[in-house]
Amino acid sequence: METIFDLQDVSYTYLEKFEALNSVNLTMTAGEQISIMGANGSGKSTLLSILNALVYPTSGEFYAFGKPVTEEAFNSLEDNEFGRYFRKKVGIVFQNPDIQLFSSTVFDEIAFGPLQLGLPKDEVKKRTEEVISMMEISNLRDRAPHTLSGGEKKKVCIASILSINPDVLLLDEPTGGLDPRSQLWLIELLQDLAKAGKTIITATHDLDIVEQISTRAIVFGEDHTIKADSTCDMVMNNLELLTSTNLIHKHMHRHGKLMHEHLHSHDAENHHEH
Amino acid sequence: MLPEWMKEVEIGPCQCCAVNVGKKKSFVEKSISGVLNFFQESLISEDFAKRDGLLQSLDPRVKLISAIVLVVAVSLTRDIRVLFVSYLLILLFAYLSKIEILFFIKRVWVFVPIFAGIIVLPILFNVFMAGDSLITVATLGSGAHLGPILLPSTIYITRQGTMFAITFILRVATCVSIAVLLFLTTQRDVLFKSLRSLHVPKVYVLTLDMCYRYIFLLMDTVRDFFTAKKSRTISSLSVRDEQRWVAGRVGYMLVKSLDMSNKVHDAMISRGFNGDVKLLHDYAVRKRDYAAIATMLMFSSVLALISQNIIRI
Repeated sequence: METIFDLQDVSYTYLEKFEALNSVNLTMTAGEQISIMGANGSGKSTLLSILNALVYPTSGEFYAFGKPVTEEAFNSLEDNEFGRYFRKKVGIVFQNPDIQLFSSTVFDEIAFGPLQLGLPKDEVKKRTEEVISMMEISNLRDRAPHTLSGGEKKKVCIASILSINPDVLLLDEPTGGLDPRSQLWLIELLQDLAKAGKTIITATHDLDIVEQISTRAIVFGEDHTIKADSTCDMVMNNLELLTSTNLIHKHMHRHGKLMHEHLHSHDAENHHEH
Repeated sequence: MLPEWMKEVEIGPCQCCAVNVGKKKSFVEKSISGVLNFFQESLISEDFAKRDGLLQSLDPRVKLISAIVLVVAVSLTRDIRVLFVSYLLILLFAYLSKIEILFFIKRVWVFVPIFAGIIVLPILFNVFMAGDSLITVATLGSGAHLGPILLPSTIYITRQGTMFAITFILRVATCVSIAVLLFLTTQRDVLFKSLRSLHVPKVYVLTLDMCYRYIFLLMDTVRDFFTAKKSRTISSLSVRDEQRWVAGRVGYMLVKSLDMSNKVHDAMISRGFNGDVKLLHDYAVRKRDYAAIATMLMFSSVLALISQNIIRI
């Protein structure tokens, strides 16, 4: 399979002080479904920002589609063939929908990406209408973002990326704040996109969706390094790893597919062997 | 684990002797209701813009250009009768656009007295504009002065000053009514995009559009601030502490807006934005639009000719 992303010893530090990623080595191939797991602040979102060429490694090298991704290459997207190719190929769904929904109507929001990528206006309109219909959000077509519910905003965010038709989809905590029905809808959509051959990379600490939307799991520790990079089954059954990376707690964890939870108490009667 | 004081629980009926302490709203309450009013008003405006009325059916560019031309023509008009007819015409357009007339009049006249009224107030008196006496306000006698300014022996409201003030206020009210009518009958995003027809640069149109969108988000944050404060306010703070709190929140909003602007920019970049703004707008000018702009240009020209005494009435 073709390698799409290659990170070689990548580190990232905010304000030259706060470490977000530490010596990350990773390759990702086309068509993979990957979950990036880790506790709050472990560096998942920063990794997605690097993968989307929004921030650049403080040290190390990042290659996308065989070409180096550097600040210089992306500083001016005008007349930059690689930049245009990259933006067409890779789309990101941000954790906070309000960042992503900057247009005044849902229709304009979904049309924004294809317009910027220079598609003819008729094609933009046709594509936007088709995505609206596919996502079943025709009722939201002319609504302003501030009048949408959390679930509706998330749907519009995803629609605004799908209208670009990227081959690689990056999602940052996609199920955050969604009710169970919306979560199920999202999982089914991601599964359909995976079947269509899209590469789906999801940053999450929601263990319930990991096995449903991905086959590979990368776990980040609280020291911002990769602690595991394996199949989902292997990672999800490694309780020691999940506990040490703060993805489960010994009083709130899973037994196979079952979520197990008991009161946080240190009495001997609550102790049990796994 | 819990500190001792946290383990104390007091359950029982409240021993308070007074529940109501007055109807005066605190500044927190006023701020919350102000934000809620803002949201409510915007929803009402959106509702008007979607109605099936006369102006809603016209092309936004036609409305925008007509409104600008009409405002210029009204600004030139000096004749009170012509101004009155123009104002009635705007009211008729509002009625035909299915806007409640009382709501429309209230919306305009809330602001007009505040701004135009204050500006024009001094002109009523003979101190600033000589004229025939209408109402005597004060008799000061000869030699009265205010500092270095010599005052007339009798201060009165003049007939000419009053006519001037009424004409001025009516002119302002008509111009404001035209602008309000344009805003009420046109969806905001469409209105902003129609600015392109006046060759306003695309980047300004996009910025205006985004500003309008993010005002709601920031207002939402402001409402959350005040609601959180209300929920944790046990006794009222001193004015100085309240001011300090507000100043802190203003600072926080600035930081938050800057942070958000960076993130929004990232979101735009990630979807292919490269500084060259591309907007999607689809307008179709129909016969009624041509008729509307021709009528409005003709009417505005007549107003201008009357104002220059080329047409006498």
